[in-house]
Amino acid sequence: MNAAACYFVNGMESETSAIARGLRRRDPDLLDRLIEQYQHRLLRYLIYLSGNRDLAEDLFQETWIRVLERGSQYDGKHEFSTWLFAVARNLTIDQMRRKSPLSLDGLNSDEDSAPLDPMDSRPSALEVVAQHEHADRIGAALVSIPAEYREAVVLRFQEGLALDEIATVTGAPLGTVKSRLYRGLNLLTPLLKGAQE
Amino acid sequence: MTSDIHERARQLIVLRGAEGFADAQETWLQAHLQDCDPCREYAEATTQVIRSLRSVPMAATPSLVRRTQTRVRQHAQLLRQHRERLWMVGVACAGIGFSAAVTLPLMWKVFSWLGAWAGVSSPVWETGFGVFVIAPALLVSVLLLTRGTHLTDEAGRWHH
Repeated sequence: MNAAACYFVNGMESETSAIARGLRRRDPDLLDRLIEQYQHRLLRYLIYLSGNRDLAEDLFQETWIRVLERGSQYDGKHEFSTWLFAVARNLTIDQMRRKSPLSLDGLNSDEDSAPLDPMDSRPSALEVVAQHEHADRIGAALVSIPAEYREAVVLRFQEGLALDEIATVTGAPLGTVKSRLYRGLNLLTPLLKGAQE
Repeated sequence: MTSDIHERARQLIVLRGAEGFADAQETWLQAHLQDCDPCREYAEATTQVIRSLRSVPMAATPSLVRRTQTRVRQHAQLLRQHRERLWMVGVACAGIGFSAAVTLPLMWKVFSWLGAWAGVSSPVWETGFGVFVIAPALLVSVLLLTRGTHLTDEAGRWHH
């Protein structure tokens, strides 16, 4: 490992260790900072996982409560985001199980789910409409594919997680993650063909 | 060219850019794409889908973030109070245990002397001693049961 890479890895380790120490202390300032830092990524993951924005917002809050309660379980050896997504995933599955005994597949498409709202970044009215349509189209395409494929695709291509991190979050073997990505993209491609950015 | 080769090429297209994607795989893929129109189209379509996925600007609202931060702070405060209560209960138990260990032999002697002084038989003053020792604990238990214990919150949920 060269010096730059070594410095990067050590820097990342010290940051994750600092997070782990703060979580053990239940440091509210650290939690405030983490909530702000991971707000968009976590909410987006929960929206696509649950297929419903209102439910995702509830789960967002519950996830941080669980992070507070079980922060001592984070060892600081892995990326915090990987652990956070795993916590969120378990909560979502628990929630879906309570909602319906079918659950793991209950993460699948929900016809009545609320549309997925894009970020309010104050563009023009026309841009807002276009953004909504674009987001709706992608949201509709995503919720129409099986939940396990959707989850892999979202974690990889939206959240930028590495394959082994996705395997950790989902508890699936690496080969299964690769296969889910491949199948998920194959299902999405015809649905999103020609989608404008 | 067999379909396995195209299948392999398409799997590599999806995994492109992932960690562990070897240079040799990239070289092989590039060579394949130069000769294979369907796989090249697949690669372009896949790239477009990935770009579309990354282009969705979905964000948490500031109010959600504020609500969450407030809730987390309140919950942290609740957990801290609970920990303090547990600590106090622990200290109280230790104090009571120590006090009991010190005073019980003394009280036994006092009851024995009182029994002799009053002229009652041993089982009688021993029973009195038993009631004297157990009564405070019984009283506290009844009080805690009627009021709810201090180890639960307002909703009666047990914190651990």
